[in-house]
Amino acid sequence: MNDDHHLLIGRANGHLFRREDKTESYVVIPPAHLITDSDGAMWTFGTAYNAYGEINVLRNDFDTGEFAERIEYRKGQVRLFGKAGWRTFSRSRRHFI
Amino acid sequence: MATGSYTLSAGGITLANAAVTLTFINPPAAPNVRLVFRRFWINQSNNMTSVNLRWQVNTQVTAFPTLVSQTPTKLYIADGASVITGATTGAAGTCGINASAEGAGAKTIIYADSFNTTNGALLVLTPEETIEMGASATSGLGMHLPVAPGTLTNWVFGCIWSEE
Repeated sequence: MNDDHHLLIGRANGHLFRREDKTESYVVIPPAHLITDSDGAMWTFGTAYNAYGEINVLRNDFDTGEFAERIEYRKGQVRLFGKAGWRTFSRSRRHFI
Repeated sequence: MATGSYTLSAGGITLANAAVTLTFINPPAAPNVRLVFRRFWINQSNNMTSVNLRWQVNTQVTAFPTLVSQTPTKLYIADGASVITGATTGAAGTCGINASAEGAGAKTIIYADSFNTTNGALLVLTPEETIEMGASATSGLGMHLPVAPGTLTNWVFGCIWSEE
């Protein structure tokens, strides 16, 4: 199938994912494995932990520098929950707020 | 004996239209390290129809599944190689993926769940819930789909264990 049919392309666990739709709202990792946002970016957990048992958060297999217990997709925004409470990925795609 | 963390992961896999074991790791004979399983995941990148699919983690005694041989990959580049080697037989000290035959050995379910195939499933085992397989366990640990999935192509799955 042509890539034109897959508007959303991202990477997770070293594999390329081509998707036509973003993830539905309120999907949470875990138990879900990945979240596809409206940019096509794939959100997953890495394999590193911090002292609180939170896991590092990956976007397209790149470490975001954030640690969390859960990753949630809600109303078009990626949100992290951890010891510091809720953080939301900024509209600029650069920060968690 | 070597210690470290290892992964058995595969992507773009086409499954048989049947119940299928996705990953299977059989501990080596004693004396040797124990395998402490920390994570399992499964997903597919082919079909976006929202359906649920059962999956499970189970042990299996001989006769083991017939697998595609795949060598474990180390998570940390400085570690030594895993004590587990790739093989098609599922015998002690070996591992493989995507079984073509399940083998007659009885399966014992450790963890059974269901997931939406558009979102996949991630099982992170916290320290007190880790699944441990000691040396000479005489059974392997498999990640298994007990029913055939609706879409058979482009499956992604894997697991991570520590050798301690």
